Amino acid sequence: MELFKKTLDPVIALSIIALLDIFMFLVVGAWTVGGGETMMTGLIAKFFMGDQLQHIPFWDIVFKPDATYWKIYISLGMLFGSIVGAFLSKEFYWRIPRHLSEWVMITVGGLLMGIGIRLAFVCNVSTFFGLTPEMNLGGYLSISGIIAGAWVGSLIYKKVLGG
Amino acid sequence: MSPIGQCLAAFVFGSVAGLLVQRSRFCNTAALRDAMLFKTYRNTKALLVCMMILTIGFTAFITVGEGHTMHFDVGVNQMLGLFLFGIGMVLAGACTVSTWVKAGEGNVGAIWALLFTFIGMFLFSLIWSYSYWPPAPGSMDHLPHLEALQFGYANAATLQAKTGIPAIFFGLFQFLVLFGIYRAILRKEARMAEANT
Repeated sequence: MELFKKTLDPVIALSIIALLDIFMFLVVGAWTVGGGETMMTGLIAKFFMGDQLQHIPFWDIVFKPDATYWKIYISLGMLFGSIVGAFLSKEFYWRIPRHLSEWVMITVGGLLMGIGIRLAFVCNVSTFFGLTPEMNLGGYLSISGIIAGAWVGSLIYKKVLGG
Repeated sequence: MSPIGQCLAAFVFGSVAGLLVQRSRFCNTAALRDAMLFKTYRNTKALLVCMMILTIGFTAFITVGEGHTMHFDVGVNQMLGLFLFGIGMVLAGACTVSTWVKAGEGNVGAIWALLFTFIGMFLFSLIWSYSYWPPAPGSMDHLPHLEALQFGYANAATLQAKTGIPAIFFGLFQFLVLFGIYRAILRKEARMAEANT
């Protein structure tokens, strides 16, 4: 199948996703990832901590762990779709970062993404594919934040790569 | 829609999105980082086209009172949070979408980034449980609370309600702004191609 033989134009891919996202907006809500990841964090924490988790107010007031939260399944679906795409196009293979600097950057980057999503209540997906197309004030605040952050991140990235 | 129906719709949507992102190698991080660092716009153009379609689609349905808009108050925390997120995604080399997609391709770095995103979220839950800021969605009243650095709730639907102008007109204005940026990128690429020949 042609789709699995060559790379798809991202403009075509994102146009199809946009049409599907409009359908999601009508039936349940626009594309988002951060909310589902937070719920997964809560469910994992509950698995390890049990009822002790209730003593952390965030997990009682803001995000009560619930396995039927629909946003979780967007992320799991993306993982599934990607595995299917990678296997059918023979692009699946284990890639392991080689340098310590990469591991450090990924670790710090992951932590900042997690803290940032929860501080903002939104992720990059909700920013670009949810809030801003809804013309929500939060979308414009988030876009200004992510552009400034990406610029600072790019300077750090350049410095680390240059060093 | 029942919770099971919602989860099913979300999984089908996620699967198609994951497949298309994997096959197109689209990356939100690259859309910003590559434009800033390398002056290449492959992903930036896709991001803009997607936003143009969504703006028209969402505001058209908002005009007739349809669609599930995101309902929460916004404030300085959106700017600060996405600032941290922006640094993080460039350092990790992946955003929320590409961590899942790259994980599905066997990228151990992406799995590691996901793990630490979860840890970051849990750390923030501890901080929030001490500071109680930003306000929990349950306590939001959609009004500005400047002492808490909160600006309230405003989107195309509230614009339509306050001005009487259909939301789609505001959407068309945003579409034109996005299209202007898209066109400027195309012109820049044409100039760069001309200079290279």
